[in-house]
Amino acid sequence: MREKFSQDKLDRCISCGYCLPACPTYKLTGNEESSPRGRITLMRAVQNDKLPAIDLLQESSFCLGCRACEPVCPAGVEFGVLLEEMREITWQGKNRPLIVRGLFFIVDSKIGMWTLGLFSPMAKRRSAQSDLHLMYGCFERRLFPSVSRAVAKLAPEVSCSSKQGCCGALHAHNGELEKGKELARQLGEKLPGTILTTAGGCAAHLSSVIGSDRVQEFSQWWVKREIELKPISKKDRKIRVGLQDSCHLRHGMGVFAEPREILKQLGDYVEIPSAADCCGAAGSYALLQKKNSRKVVSQKISEIKALNLDYIATVNPGCTRQLVTELRRARVKTKVIHLAELVAISQK
Amino acid sequence: MSVSDLVAKLTALVGGDVVRSDAVSLQAYSRDATPMFEGLPEVIVAPRNTDEVAKIVKFAHDTKTPIIARGAGSNLCAATVPLNGGIVMSMTKMNQILEVSKSEMIAVVQPGVTNLTLDQLVEKEGLRFVPDPGSRNVSTIGGNVATSAGGLRGLKYGTTRNYILGLEAVLGTGEIIRTGGRLVKDVAGYDVTRLLVGSEGTLAVFTEITVALAPRPEASKYGVAYFEDLAAAAAAVEKIITSGILPATLEFLDNTCLVAVEDFAHLGLDTKAGALLLFGDDGDAISIEQSVSKMAEIAKSSTGCRGVTLAADVAAADALLYARRCSLPALARLSSLSILEDIAVPRNVMAEVVNRIEGIGKKHGLRIGTFGHAGDGNLHPTIVLDKDSPKEVAAAELALAEIFALPLEFGGSITGEHGVGSAKLQYLEAKIGTANMQLQRNIKKVFDPAGILNPGRIGS
Repeated sequence: MREKFSQDKLDRCISCGYCLPACPTYKLTGNEESSPRGRITLMRAVQNDKLPAIDLLQESSFCLGCRACEPVCPAGVEFGVLLEEMREITWQGKNRPLIVRGLFFIVDSKIGMWTLGLFSPMAKRRSAQSDLHLMYGCFERRLFPSVSRAVAKLAPEVSCSSKQGCCGALHAHNGELEKGKELARQLGEKLPGTILTTAGGCAAHLSSVIGSDRVQEFSQWWVKREIELKPISKKDRKIRVGLQDSCHLRHGMGVFAEPREILKQLGDYVEIPSAADCCGAAGSYALLQKKNSRKVVSQKISEIKALNLDYIATVNPGCTRQLVTELRRARVKTKVIHLAELVAISQK
Repeated sequence: MSVSDLVAKLTALVGGDVVRSDAVSLQAYSRDATPMFEGLPEVIVAPRNTDEVAKIVKFAHDTKTPIIARGAGSNLCAATVPLNGGIVMSMTKMNQILEVSKSEMIAVVQPGVTNLTLDQLVEKEGLRFVPDPGSRNVSTIGGNVATSAGGLRGLKYGTTRNYILGLEAVLGTGEIIRTGGRLVKDVAGYDVTRLLVGSEGTLAVFTEITVALAPRPEASKYGVAYFEDLAAAAAAVEKIITSGILPATLEFLDNTCLVAVEDFAHLGLDTKAGALLLFGDDGDAISIEQSVSKMAEIAKSSTGCRGVTLAADVAAADALLYARRCSLPALARLSSLSILEDIAVPRNVMAEVVNRIEGIGKKHGLRIGTFGHAGDGNLHPTIVLDKDSPKEVAAAELALAEIFALPLEFGGSITGEHGVGSAKLQYLEAKIGTANMQLQRNIKKVFDPAGILNPGRIGS
C-alpha cells in the first residue's frame, strides 16, 4: 500500500514545539491538536494505523495552510506539503466541501475559465517580443481585472496570452495534489519562458512545481527593474501605506523585503504589527471556515484602523478580497489595493 | 473508573468546553518533545483558574486517577508523556501576566505564560526575566519551574531556581498552598518553594508564580571563536574563566552541529572548523567591552584556535544566539532520529569528557553531534541515527549507557537542565544514592499521598 504521508517529511519533525507560537489556530485555541506539531503527531498516528484517516478531517480543515510554521522550524519540516497530503487523504468523496467542488468545476473546464474572463476588463491579449508572460490567474481575472491591466501598462514587454488556465494552486491546497501539479506543468508549457504573476499563492505553487527560475512574483520582478518611483500624494502629503504579506510568498518563497522596498518609495510606509500573519483568507478558507477566518483577521483589522492608513497594499488576490470585505464590515476607510496598481498610480 | 464516567464527572466539575476526550485530542497529547516515549491519556482538561485546578486535582485524588500538568510540552525528558493514561491537565489557558512591579522588580504570572512573552513585557519596564532556555519562544513559565530550566546565561546568572520567589500551588490532595512571596529575604519555614522548583509535576501543580526580575543590561556584546576541535574550545573556556572573567555566555558546538545550524540559519559560519565557541557578555558598555575583548584575546592565543570574529551589532548577536538555541532541532536535518543527552561535568574535566564522547561515537560507528553550555560544563551530546536501522538503534543504546557513565565517573550529573522525567529515572539512584532516593520517595508521599501527580516519575 502506498504510504499516506511522505515518511521522510514526517521524520523531520522532532516535536520540539518551536512552531507553536507561529500558528494562528494554536493561538486561537491553545490546543495541541490545532498546532503544526500536534497535526504532525496526528499524521504519524494515521501513517501507523493508530487513527483512521478520516479523523484528520477536522484539523485538515481548521488549519489555514499559511505555512507560518515553516520559516521558524529549525528542522526544516515542510509542513505545507504535509498539509496538502493531509487534505488529499481527507477531502475526498463526500468529505470534499461543496464549495471546493464548485470551484474545481469552474476552473477545470474551458467554459468555466472562459466565463471567468467573460466581459472582464482584464489586460488585453497581446504578444510581445520577450518571453515574459503575464498570468491572469483564475478567479483573479474575474474579481480583480484591474491588477493585470496595471501590470500590462507598466511593462510593455509583457505578453498576455489568452490560452491559460488555472495554475493548480487551488487544487493542491484543496485535496487534489496530483491534479495541482499537472495543471502547473500544463501552464508552464502554455506560457514558455518566465511567468509573471500577481498572486503570491500561485507564485509559490508554480515555482514548487516548474522551478523558481521560471516564476516571478510581481514585487520580485519589479525591484529588479530598478525604476525610481514617484511618491504618491494625497492632499499635499505622502500617502500612508501598509502591507499585508502573502503567506505563501513570504513563508514559502522568502519574498517579503521586495514589496516593502517598493512601498517605501511610494509613500510613508507603516508596518502593521501583524503584516506577516495570515489574514484568514487562506485560499478557500474564508469561504469554508467563515467564523474562524474572521477570528483570525480581527486583530489585524483593529491594527489597520488604529494606524489610520490611506492604503493597505496586497500581493495576493485572496488577501485583497478578505481585507476589502472585513474592512468594509468594520467601516474602516483604508483602501485595499494590489501593489501593482499602486505602482501604476505613481507612474501616471 | 470508566473513561465515560471520568469525562462526565470532570465535565460536571469544570464544564464541557474545557474537557476533551475524542481520539484526535488524546493522540495529540500522547507525547512531548522527547523521542521514543508515547502514551495515550484518557482525557484532556484545560482549567481556567486556581479553583478549577484544585477541583480537578481533588477529584483525581479521590478517584486515584493519574494526572499530569502540562505546559507547552517542550520538555526533553519525557516528563509529560501520559504513560499511565489518566488526565492530562493543559495549563495553556492560564496564561495571564497578573502583575509587574517595577519597584519590587518582580512579576506575578500564571503558569501558562511563555518565557518569551513575559520577557518581552517586562522589557518595557527596563527589566529582564533572566532564565532563557533554548525553547523560550514556546516553553511556559510553569514548565520552566517544573524542570528548573537552564539556558544560555547559567554561568553568570544561574537558572530558573534562582528567580522563583513564591508559588501558589495545588497539592496532591487538592489543597491550595502558598510558599515564599514577594521578598528577597524570607526564611519562614522550610524552603518549600525551592523544593517545588524542579519537582517535575510530582509534588504539586503550580497555579501562580512570583518571579524575580533583573534590570535589563544596557549593552551586550558577542563573538565567535573557531577551533580545531571541541576539546580545544573546552580548554579555551577553562582559560577564560580562570582568568577571572565571569561572562554571561560561553556556548560551544562541534562541527556536526555547526554544519546543521548553518544550514538553517545561513549566518556565514565557518563550517570547516572543528568547533565553534560563542562567547559574550552583558552589562554596562565599558565593562563588557573589556571582558569581551579579553575573552577574544584569550581565545586567539589558545591552542587550536582558527580565528575570532566579533558580532557587528545587536542584531548579529541575536542571530547567533538564536542559531545556538536551534542547535537541537537543526540536528534533525541530518537523520530520522536524534537522541539528545544532557550531562553536566565539572568544567575542568570537560575537554577530557568531550574527547571521550567522540571516542564513544567512533567505537560504535555512530554520528554524535555535541553542543552545550561550555561555561556550565553542561553538554548535550546528540546521537543522530536512522530510526529504521536496528543496527544503529542497538549501537545507540550501548553508546548512551557509556555516555551516562561519564558524569558519574567525573563527579557530574546525569542531567544538567532537562530533568529526570521518564527518560533518566533508571539512572537517578546511581546519581543521588540510595538514602537520598528513599528520602525523595518519602517527600513525594507527604505532598501527594495518593500518588496521583505525574506518577512513575521522580519520587514514585
